[in-house]
Amino acid sequence: MRVLVIDPDPARAALVAEGLAGVHPLEVRRSARFDEREAAEFAPDVVVIAAESPDRDTLESLREASQANPRPVVMFVDRSEPGLAEQAVRAGVAAYVVDGLAPARVRPILDVAMSRFALTQQLRGDLAKVKADLEARKTVERAKGLLMKERGLDEDGAYRLLRKLAMDRGKPIGAVAADLLAFAGVLKGDAS
Amino acid sequence: MSGLADLKLGFIPLTDCAPLVVAKSLGFFAEEGLDVSLSREASWATIRDKVAVGALDGAHMLAPMALAAAAGASGGLTLDVGPSLIAPMALNRNGSAITVSKALAQAMRAADPEAIGEQPASAAALAKVIAQRSGQGAAPLTFAVVFPYSMHNYELRYWLAQAGIDPDKDVRLVVTPPPRMVEQMRAGEIDGFCVGAPWNAVAEREGLGEIVIAASAFWPGGPDKVFGVTQAWAHHYPDELRAALRALIRAAAWADDAAHREDLIALLARPEHVGVAPEALARALSDEIVFHRGGAGVPRREHALWFLSQMVRWGQVSAEVDLEAAADAVYRPDMFRAAALSAGPMLDPNQVFADAPGELAPLYAGPAFDSQRAGPYAAAFSIGRARV
Repeated sequence: MRVLVIDPDPARAALVAEGLAGVHPLEVRRSARFDEREAAEFAPDVVVIAAESPDRDTLESLREASQANPRPVVMFVDRSEPGLAEQAVRAGVAAYVVDGLAPARVRPILDVAMSRFALTQQLRGDLAKVKADLEARKTVERAKGLLMKERGLDEDGAYRLLRKLAMDRGKPIGAVAADLLAFAGVLKGDAS
Repeated sequence: MSGLADLKLGFIPLTDCAPLVVAKSLGFFAEEGLDVSLSREASWATIRDKVAVGALDGAHMLAPMALAAAAGASGGLTLDVGPSLIAPMALNRNGSAITVSKALAQAMRAADPEAIGEQPASAAALAKVIAQRSGQGAAPLTFAVVFPYSMHNYELRYWLAQAGIDPDKDVRLVVTPPPRMVEQMRAGEIDGFCVGAPWNAVAEREGLGEIVIAASAFWPGGPDKVFGVTQAWAHHYPDELRAALRALIRAAAWADDAAHREDLIALLARPEHVGVAPEALARALSDEIVFHRGGAGVPRREHALWFLSQMVRWGQVSAEVDLEAAADAVYRPDMFRAAALSAGPMLDPNQVFADAPGELAPLYAGPAFDSQRAGPYAAAFSIGRARV
């Protein structure tokens, strides 16, 4: 079975290939972008594409041009399996299969792709959250420093003041700290 | 946490996503009690599928995309028996244009200096270039549109066919997402395209292409994008939908106001919205796109029927389909009207939907469109593939 994975992220495509290791025969190729000529040359049985890829529209339109393209592609997800398309879209994967391949043979590929895509998405989300938390903590530290300097508070007092501001405004403490620093900058005249 | 209803709405980086961006950024959604997050999406197929499965509550959508499934076209590969889409509001009129590469524009000028100077420009000069090229055995010219079910596809096909060019035989048509049009033209992969603002102006500013005909010259006040949600979502969340529509109507009115032009351009230019140079956005906003005036927000049945007629004309939909039923299932001017009327003093209803929005302006050439006879109209063109 020949599988073409369209994903700019090599790690994610590699996960798909790894997850399919048991399938024989198998050839998995990854491409950052969908290229019609390249795809025609490789002649994949299935195309797995990240749902966020702009190339989805191009791929989908090939069904339209069936006169020009002798091998129309269609999304394989079978109507008889309710919920599968929904799961796939939520997991960030869309799959297309070259006309004529039985959906049953493609199911394991989509299962693998879905779980791997969901996993990397979660990892990426976690990383973004950690980064944001760290950034917020740095901002709070800087705002505390500013309050200690300008208002003569100790560290605990500065934190309590920030927390009160946050509660009064119904905003996260990081956002209040960021506002405070921005306004301090304006007062010092260093805003553009 | 905030007590507001959470909504996730999708958009594609295009000038006509403005009502969503404005409603979010200026707090119009928040004033309606909605906590909206906007999600910038990479492809129209993703927008459609995410809305259909509920990963997005609603989105900026191609009007024909919303209609395709109802008309039995394969508007959703997986979802053709799934949730149906409705369009309770139109987001804009005009905004798209056809652009050709510098080289092609030169060839057109050389082939027929008079035709390219006509206003609005016909494709007659292009037809001559195509004839010359085929005589020389050159490869067919490649044109890109944004999606098979789009105003852009029908506009380009109409314009070509009107000059005797068969879009399925004489040129190669490909699909490319809007933000990629310019890079593909630069790479020489495409010779022309039809896309929404600001991408035509971006190509011109970068010295790569020339705009040959704008949507307003093709069809004054012609339709383009809609706000789309699923029928099921609209049924379960009628209050949220009405609130969202009110915020969007106010945002459209704000976006139309010339006094806000600079602010609107700055807002859209941000990387998380359209992310292009402000000058490229300015062009279509100054005299082309309409968001609100003259009842622009009303999803007009006639517009839906014109889109459906083009689906029949190009063989995407069988001529047997009940076009009127499909139009009525998807286009919901009644919902727009109810939302506008419920907006109270924030909006002057007379101004909002200028109800009975007059006769349709004629398309730039070809048979007169009669929405009562969309089927026969679809079959009236000499170039087309209506499946009977």
